[in-house]
Amino acid sequence: MSLALLRRGGVYVFLSVATFLSVFPFYWMAVGSTNQSPDIVRGKLGFGSNLLVNFQHLMTQVDLPRVFGNSFLIAVVSTVLTLVISSLAGYGFEMFRSRIRERIFQLLLLLLSIPFAALMVPLFVMISRAQLNNTFTAVILPGIASIFIVFYFRQATKAFPRELRDAARVDGLKEWQIFLFVYMPTMRSTYAAATIIIFMNAWNNYLWPLIVLQTPDNKTITLVISTLTAAYTPDYGVILLATVLATAPTLVIFFVLQRQFVQGMLGAVK
Amino acid sequence: MAQTRLDRSEQINGWAFVMPALVLLGLFMIYPIIWSLWMSFQVGRGANFSFGGLANIQRLANDALLIKALTNTTIFFFIQVPIMIVLALLLAVALNDPTLKFRGLFRTALFLPCVTSLIAYSSLFKSMFSTDGIINQALLTLHVIGSPIPWLTDPFWSRVVIITAITWRWTGYNMIFYLAALQNVDKSIYEAARIDGIPAWARFTRITIPMLKPVILFTTILSTIGTLQLFDEVNNITQGGPGNATLTLSMYIYNLTFRMMPSFGYSATVSWVIVVIVAILSFIQFMIARDRRRAT
Amino acid sequence: MTSLSLKGVRKSYGNLPVIKGVDLTVESREFVVFVGPSGCGKSTLLRMIAGLESITAGDLEIGGKRMNDVDPSKRGIAMVFQSYALYPHMTVRENMGFALRFAGKPKDEIARQVNEAARILELGPLLDRLPAQLSGGQRQRVAIGRAIVRHPDVFLFDEPLSNLDAELRVHMRIELARLHRELQATIIYVTHDQVEAMTLADKIVVLREGEVAQVGTPLQLYDDPDNLFVAGFIGSPKMNFLAGEVVEAGAGSATVALVNHGGARLAKPLSGPLPETGDAVTIGIRPEHFGEAGASTDLSLAVDVAEHLGSTTFVYANAGGERLIIEREERHMGDSDTIAVSIPVEAALLFDAAGKRLR
Repeated sequence: MSLALLRRGGVYVFLSVATFLSVFPFYWMAVGSTNQSPDIVRGKLGFGSNLLVNFQHLMTQVDLPRVFGNSFLIAVVSTVLTLVISSLAGYGFEMFRSRIRERIFQLLLLLLSIPFAALMVPLFVMISRAQLNNTFTAVILPGIASIFIVFYFRQATKAFPRELRDAARVDGLKEWQIFLFVYMPTMRSTYAAATIIIFMNAWNNYLWPLIVLQTPDNKTITLVISTLTAAYTPDYGVILLATVLATAPTLVIFFVLQRQFVQGMLGAVK
Repeated sequence: MAQTRLDRSEQINGWAFVMPALVLLGLFMIYPIIWSLWMSFQVGRGANFSFGGLANIQRLANDALLIKALTNTTIFFFIQVPIMIVLALLLAVALNDPTLKFRGLFRTALFLPCVTSLIAYSSLFKSMFSTDGIINQALLTLHVIGSPIPWLTDPFWSRVVIITAITWRWTGYNMIFYLAALQNVDKSIYEAARIDGIPAWARFTRITIPMLKPVILFTTILSTIGTLQLFDEVNNITQGGPGNATLTLSMYIYNLTFRMMPSFGYSATVSWVIVVIVAILSFIQFMIARDRRRAT
Repeated sequence: MTSLSLKGVRKSYGNLPVIKGVDLTVESREFVVFVGPSGCGKSTLLRMIAGLESITAGDLEIGGKRMNDVDPSKRGIAMVFQSYALYPHMTVRENMGFALRFAGKPKDEIARQVNEAARILELGPLLDRLPAQLSGGQRQRVAIGRAIVRHPDVFLFDEPLSNLDAELRVHMRIELARLHRELQATIIYVTHDQVEAMTLADKIVVLREGEVAQVGTPLQLYDDPDNLFVAGFIGSPKMNFLAGEVVEAGAGSATVALVNHGGARLAKPLSGPLPETGDAVTIGIRPEHFGEAGASTDLSLAVDVAEHLGSTTFVYANAGGERLIIEREERHMGDSDTIAVSIPVEAALLFDAAGKRLR
């Protein structure tokens, strides 16, 4: 019996260590935002009194409201457009079956494995030719037809009761009305989970905005952090403060909507 | 069979719903990838390019940096992915116990890293792994090492930093997938195994893991694609250095396109290298899974 | 084969008692069925015997040895689960042989045992299939086969037929009875279905809210229930219960007035303690035991519905708000008729206000 106890204890130790390692960087982030850069680099563990100074430095180096606004705008627009276009497609693939469209869907699944690195060059050339450099349009547009989200909605639609659609048809609704007034309200939790995924992705996006956005006024918060980090002598107090600010929205969303967050990820698997 | 009005309406609607997405995908995915294929046969700099036949492919063979990037990516792949998957599996199994206290707390904490943006946590790690930074201090205090490790200035250690960072960021993500799969398992299978006298380690290796094979495969493929696309972390923590020790394929393509004199044709060629590698690896992984099932 | 006994066995989850003191003996080669409504604790009791749940107090003995703290795999038991619990990634052959491999048995021995079990259960052609390729009944048999190869002292079955359709259930019931005879096995079987209990058991243990309501052979429980609960649980359709009041008690008999049926009275001879005059009692009478009117205790009822099943007719009737089911052989009973029956004294059972049987 003591072997079982030992094993139990081992499990708790294992999980506790893993938890500590997972959470420590967040503590570090919070602490660092209140300290001076040299202290951070030397590994100071406690809170300091430099928060305001860091904040001031950050504000002078970066137009913070502007940058936040940029990130927010891009994230929100991306989310809305992606939801609309991808849910329409997911619904369409599942509700109106045909041989050809099944084949197309399978092709789409294959396309999922194409790495972004393979696309970024031609996409860049395309937007340059269209003279869309440095615009938000160029940042948002390529991402709104997300195969992953289409797939996610198709899976979720499998659980949508056909009888609802049939009843609506009998009631005289046209297909787009059924989608708008019957499907969308019923699938609220799916939309919620998808919103979280898309918003997070758009907010945290780095490589493509890096390629597209050139002027400081247009940069997003992730680009700003990257620039600050790449400086010859990085000011870590400022950087970590910026990191806290950048991570805060997603943390809030995570804690408030934890269940949907996880559900969103799992829904994609099955 | 004559088409009824309902059939026609189905068809029209079917296409109408999926058209917007398909058009966009065609424009932003299919067209670029085909263009990329065409471009990979072009040589020249910037806007001046002309057909070069297989010149780019020949260039591939002699490209030392490419070899470096490939090697690095391979190292990352073979070391990081297995560590992460095993860790995630163990954590998921540990968390699957309904009698465990603080279960929700553990799960939340372990998943927290996944909420951070890649840039944010890259900056974090860069600040933690400086030569007189917190990590070195902790290790010194615990007497694990005798002198500080030059994390970011030594080729070997910089790779370790990258691998550690990626593992920290993504283990929780994979863990959630495994946890969900485990919770779909009929508990009485484990009870039957207990009654049959199967010891705990064997329950894990002979029952849990085989039953989780589909989801393990899924996450392995996701991790593979992720590792091959590695960019954000290496760009921000180590800038591909020191001495290109952490240069990845994606970073190389980016450099070719945006940092050096842009050679779009060659960039496209290297991009296609990644596509081919991903395709081959996915295929292999798929075949392994299928064969194991047949052999059982 | 071995016998099993439970002595004063209790289980509580924290402060919540779920098993409140069970004493039971299972003889060697007996087919014992634990039956009762949902939540009565029958599955919990079975799992305590298996070692999957702990025993808070009392003793479990198998073959004379105390097994409370012994690991499940070392108790000499094998269990068949409601969901079959087959290893989905192994073939039938591997499923059945898995435990033996871990016991370190040599390969040819394992093959021999597996083939023998397959023969008994007619699983021969299915040995190389995966569970996903089998029907429910076939999976059930594989689960049983997995138990057989371990040659346990006691077989434990946890509602094994619940997931099968009605026709298959009947078929498997017969199979299980046959297995019991062929293997000469000691079996403890849990079910909520009293038909399964009646048909399979040598001995039935009726459980209610963590306690034993009665133990006996099927017919004992049917003919001679100890309490109202057992009387109402065993038998389908249910026994009829009529409200009564004692008008006279003495000299080895009690006369009861049927509250909802005008002046009808029943005089029941009792050998045990007598009730008091004025006590409320319940009269139990099974649907098939009603006699023709004109005997001692006559009732006149209005027919609600008559169900004609072909060989029998069930008449649902009522009087004074009390609903009764009468089983008849006639076919020409219409709705909204009246029906007159009588209650034969020998077939009537008397229960006191607490539900205890008055004999």
